[in-house]
Amino acid sequence: MFKAIVSAETLTSALDSISVLVDECKIHLEEDGLEIRAVDPANVGMVDLSLDAAAFESYEADGGLIGVDLSRLEDIAGMAESGQLIQFELDEETRKLHIQIDGLEYTLALIDPDSIRQEPDIPELDLPAEVVLEGKDVNRSVTAADMVSDHIALGVDDGDESFYVDAEGDTDDVHLELTEADLIDLQAGPAHSLFSLDYLKDMNKAIPSNTEVTLHLGEEFPVKIYFGFAEGQGQVTYMLAPRIQSD
Amino acid sequence: MGNAALRDIAVIEEVPFSEIEGVVAVDAHNWLYRYLTTTVKWTSSSKYTTADGTEVANLLGIVQGLPKFFENDVTPVMVFDGGPSELKEDEIESRREQRQTYEEQLETAREEGDEVAIAQLESRTQRLTPTIQETSRELLRLLDVPIVEAPAEGEAQAAHMVRRGDADYVGSEDYDALLFGSPYTLRQLTSKGDPELMDLEATLAHHDLTLEQLIDAAILIGTDFNEGISGIGPKTALSAISEHGDLWSVLEARGETLEYGDRVRALFREPNVTDEYEFETTLDPDIAAAREYVTEEWEVDADEVERGFERIEESVTQTGLDRWT
Repeated sequence: MFKAIVSAETLTSALDSISVLVDECKIHLEEDGLEIRAVDPANVGMVDLSLDAAAFESYEADGGLIGVDLSRLEDIAGMAESGQLIQFELDEETRKLHIQIDGLEYTLALIDPDSIRQEPDIPELDLPAEVVLEGKDVNRSVTAADMVSDHIALGVDDGDESFYVDAEGDTDDVHLELTEADLIDLQAGPAHSLFSLDYLKDMNKAIPSNTEVTLHLGEEFPVKIYFGFAEGQGQVTYMLAPRIQSD
Repeated sequence: MGNAALRDIAVIEEVPFSEIEGVVAVDAHNWLYRYLTTTVKWTSSSKYTTADGTEVANLLGIVQGLPKFFENDVTPVMVFDGGPSELKEDEIESRREQRQTYEEQLETAREEGDEVAIAQLESRTQRLTPTIQETSRELLRLLDVPIVEAPAEGEAQAAHMVRRGDADYVGSEDYDALLFGSPYTLRQLTSKGDPELMDLEATLAHHDLTLEQLIDAAILIGTDFNEGISGIGPKTALSAISEHGDLWSVLEARGETLEYGDRVRALFREPNVTDEYEFETTLDPDIAAAREYVTEEWEVDADEVERGFERIEESVTQTGLDRWT
């Protein structure tokens, strides 16, 4: 059983943060909210999302599992105007999802969850550094690095107590440093890892600029990127595997 | 090759590359041969011919074929053939003769300007020349891909390595791998789609046979080493072995003789293999050196290999999250 009403904005934020990594996903319809976990086919980027029941106008579910085509669902959500509500009702017999936006009715064929790539195990990471910053500063860091390179190094300067971004291009280099004053919070620790900008740019697209973002970093370790949406009733954690540094 | 009829007997299923893990002991000649035939079919020979006329399509094939292993975290170990088994010499001789015929036909096709025939024949006339043998090994070394030199059949050696637990699969197009006792054989490692997995235990269980009986059935059908009994196909061979138990009883019941039966049997049951090999499964390719070797030393068109090298480079520098789970 699944019946829910949600605002178009909340649904779109949730879908966008998943669709940067995968085309299809499984959605767990838990009693207390939705849970989605997915990893891209190359096993480099992972997303773990939860959207609490409280983020919905109304929500009823009893632990079912459905498989969806994300671009289809995004298209449907795109039909809603700002502020409009979207209604869902799962037909267990036909395995179709009835979606209603005012007078518009859409019957969505679901995907067999077994045919979707297996959900990943979440890596156990003990990351020494934690950086809390605004979404717009993440965006600025990624945009700056993207001007010169395909890769971005994220690190924490243990002595200076600052968070920095390095990007080395063929001819030009970028260095961006955010001190404690620029950050919301910093727990310094040894951290320096190199990441693919292709992935980070996509993840960055899903991060609202006015939100608080927490980065967990280590030495040649994956980065964990955490942020909330829907007034904190939705939570996204990204994990991105590092690149091996040649020098 | 000799044993395509084994396809009807073998239990084979397609598996996604992403589900394959570990080490694949690849029958190197078989793999290279596949690549040579496909590369040559679709690529103009000017792209892989040096100024003095030496063709090194093998280098192109290796650079295009290896990324798939690297990207899927599967370690290839290339097992090269040693000297041919005595019995196989006839077969090699007849292949050589066949090649000569192809070469004459190719000459004619070239004179007539028949491009389709030229493409078809060029792919058949490829062979593993000393240059190919040598340059393949050198490129594999630069890319840190392990090489094992088999005393005789590469396929038998590869099967032996899987049986000893040093590799997880044999990689070969040849169905003979089953007869050499390869528990798991991957076919179509060269094509775009997913490979096929050939499962020995499931094959034996399916037909209720022992490996020795499967070998006997194959000998009746015909292998790379013997011609087989005329009129016996996979079905007849299986039911005859089930009924009579082994090769000799079947021959006796049918009033047939088979000249090398014992020796062919021994080749599969006790193939010439070695325990003397060693390899690392973490590969650290020197891509710059490999690129220089292929494009400068052997003058292969850089555009033809760039993508392959990039794919290998990307796969060794980008880690996967599974490393932390």
